[in-house]
Amino acid sequence: MTTSKLGKYLSGLGLLGLVIFLCVIPFYSTDYIVSVLLDILTWIGLTQSWIILSGFTGYISLGHSAFFGIGAYVMAILWLKLPYPLIILISAMSSMTLAFAIGFPVLRVRGPYFVILTLGLSEFAKYIFINYEVNVKGTVGRILLGVPNIRTLYFSLLIIAIVTILCAYLIKRSRFGYGLFSIKEDEDAAESLGIDTSIYKWLALGISAFFPGAIGATMALRRTYIDPYSVFDPIVSFQIIVMAFFGGIGKLHGPVLGACILTLISEFFWARYPHYYLIILGVILVFIVKIMPSGILGIFDLFGKAGKVVKFVRRK
Amino acid sequence: MALLECQEVTKNFGGLMAVTNVSLQLEKGEIVGLIGANGAGKTTLFNLISGFYPPTNGSIRFEGDEIAGLKTHDICRKGLVRTFQLVRPFHNMTVWDNVMVGALFGVQKCKNVSRAKEEAMKVLEFTGLHEKKEIPAKELTIADRKRLEVARSLATKPKLLLLDEVLAGLTSTETTEAMKLVRRIRDEMGLTIFMVEHVMKAVMGLSDRLIVLHNGEKIAEGNAKEVSKNPTVIEAYLGEKLHM
Amino acid sequence: MDLGSILQIVFTGLIMGSIYALVAVGLNLIYGTMRLLNIAHGEIIMIGAYVAYWLFTAYGVSPFFSLILSSFVTIVIGLIICKIIFLPMIRSGKSEESIQSNALLLFFAISIILTNVVILIWTADIRGYSYLTGVVQILKVPVMLNRLNAFLVALVICVIAYFFLQKTMLGKAIRALIQERTAAKLVGINSDRLYLVSFMMAFGIAGLTGALLSMIYELSPFMGFPYTITAFVVIILGGLGNVLGSLIAGFIFGFVETVGISVTSPGLQSIISYGVFIGVILYRPKGIFGKGL
Repeated sequence: MTTSKLGKYLSGLGLLGLVIFLCVIPFYSTDYIVSVLLDILTWIGLTQSWIILSGFTGYISLGHSAFFGIGAYVMAILWLKLPYPLIILISAMSSMTLAFAIGFPVLRVRGPYFVILTLGLSEFAKYIFINYEVNVKGTVGRILLGVPNIRTLYFSLLIIAIVTILCAYLIKRSRFGYGLFSIKEDEDAAESLGIDTSIYKWLALGISAFFPGAIGATMALRRTYIDPYSVFDPIVSFQIIVMAFFGGIGKLHGPVLGACILTLISEFFWARYPHYYLIILGVILVFIVKIMPSGILGIFDLFGKAGKVVKFVRRK
Repeated sequence: MALLECQEVTKNFGGLMAVTNVSLQLEKGEIVGLIGANGAGKTTLFNLISGFYPPTNGSIRFEGDEIAGLKTHDICRKGLVRTFQLVRPFHNMTVWDNVMVGALFGVQKCKNVSRAKEEAMKVLEFTGLHEKKEIPAKELTIADRKRLEVARSLATKPKLLLLDEVLAGLTSTETTEAMKLVRRIRDEMGLTIFMVEHVMKAVMGLSDRLIVLHNGEKIAEGNAKEVSKNPTVIEAYLGEKLHM
Repeated sequence: MDLGSILQIVFTGLIMGSIYALVAVGLNLIYGTMRLLNIAHGEIIMIGAYVAYWLFTAYGVSPFFSLILSSFVTIVIGLIICKIIFLPMIRSGKSEESIQSNALLLFFAISIILTNVVILIWTADIRGYSYLTGVVQILKVPVMLNRLNAFLVALVICVIAYFFLQKTMLGKAIRALIQERTAAKLVGINSDRLYLVSFMMAFGIAGLTGALLSMIYELSPFMGFPYTITAFVVIILGGLGNVLGSLIAGFIFGFVETVGISVTSPGLQSIISYGVFIGVILYRPKGIFGKGL
């Protein structure tokens, strides 16, 4: 008991240290490092919000790019009209509202049908925006002028990422969280134990959509130019999934780790060889799903298990 | 007032009559067995009572309130819970967490996880699963899984427990154990039990009363002796021996 | 609206419908027999199209001949993917549900890999070639030869697939597997071999479809996914393992799209087809004909 408590204190202390480090580092490093960290925070936030729906309830979404895109567009439309943190909040609320609006019928669809439906929905949203741009506005995309500097954006994303992780963590340990895990395990059994599964899934979807909205809004400012093809890109959803699975969706720190490692890899490839990067991600996903269903954290588990076996054998 | 009262309950799946005009009453504290051949409509009746689908016709009252057409989780929160014929524990959760989910939701709705853990522990001790509390449910034996399913339902603090073939597939010692548990649930926790069972000896020994379904209709009701001498029942079971 | 434009819509609907039916046949085979939702189906079609394009522009190979060559390439891809990834997975004895969702992720990964490999080889630029661009008059309505050709070829392949499934031993075994999976195994149908056969056939037909489409449309590495969606709508409407149903559902979808576009604007094509897809999946009917999902 005491060792595990000590461990908790230590890891809490470690986390605090990490947060302080992340708060301080932008003042002592180059723009390039800040931009890499900013990317990492973006993907941490996205995978963590995806976990709230797909990791907890088992409803695998391939449509989170749509929430990202909506957030980006709300930002583009409202930019310079309202204070910037307020627009981020409105963007997040817009994504969430949309999720709530479509949630009930969409979440009635189960299993593989749900997965392909979410992909279809995000493409649908993309084409709606493309049409809106072309036919209503007569433009292709939007340019955002006078955006905040990279350090301001960094801190926005730092806050968003921390809130997302915190939110996922609190849900995971709460009554609500256990309701969601039960849905993942067996929806009918969950219902028969008194869990209002339709409301629970619906809430999870809404919360899960909130954060990509905020992140999309912030990234619109980072990119300064957006169009429907780039912000509703299914590749966003794809990367979220690969990162989450790569890290292991069973635990919360898995996806964080996955986001960190793969973003660093992408830094290496993205600028010059984006297609190699996506091919690598594809291969990683195949590899993970086929061989290591619990992600890279699974490797540590394996080491742990091996260690136990060794100890056990030695004692004999 | 009867605890559960079904009046002329009918379910028809696209023209196929699964349950026809079934009326029955359960009094508080009873153990009632529901028997009948395969396809007689027993599980369908359970599904109707627990709200998995609404009846085509008829009324189902629980403690005087109409529950036909309510959602399953609402019915559970009123104190009526069911187990599944093919047990459905949450495989990747531990035994303790499984039971805790029942305590978190259901009738009693523990507001926080640690309260629910305590409540779950009591149920685990009652059902004799406490030593296996940290094991993931998927690693349990069939008998323990069935026990876990019952424990999880008990943790919701129900008044009426619908057991769908909890004895099927158990060895004779396990059956005796399980029967003991069912009886204790009634005697010590004061629950009413409505059970579908194929193991005739067990259900005859346990039940205060038996209800017999045949082709979706209720053909007999009474204690074990009465039912086994009922000519309609004997006729319906002809060719499928009744093991007394 | 005059008779001419109505006929125009009818012809376009028929052409689109036959192509959609053909697109759906492949998905139907894999989804039907293995219950694996191949969301890379459209990308296999895309590969077939690029192979035909490459053979035509680089070596002047007739696209007709490429119908066979393209399908050969995709059959090989199918063979490899099935042998290495999916057969071991199905044999692993995991629950059907976990296999299904894992398979979906794997196909998603495969689709991304294929798209990016094509971008690496041919870049993301839109490509195309002209072939059979002549026009014939049918009932005084001008129809492009390559479209007429696509219609006929698609129809012929669908008819062959239909007779294969209805009349041959292998086809009957595949249908049995689609309709009653457990029972089919019980009566001693060698399901592994059938999975492999269905997989290769599905990929082969997809490759051929791609070659056929390359004669009509421009190619892009991103052309695949809309076809997956279309195929999915068609097999939901037409019923699993039902080639005839797919044909009729393909025509229906073709007409819905053509009429939808003609009363609105061509720019709305994607919105219309995704809209139909979402509607169909939300209110999933049990198939208009025969067995539903």
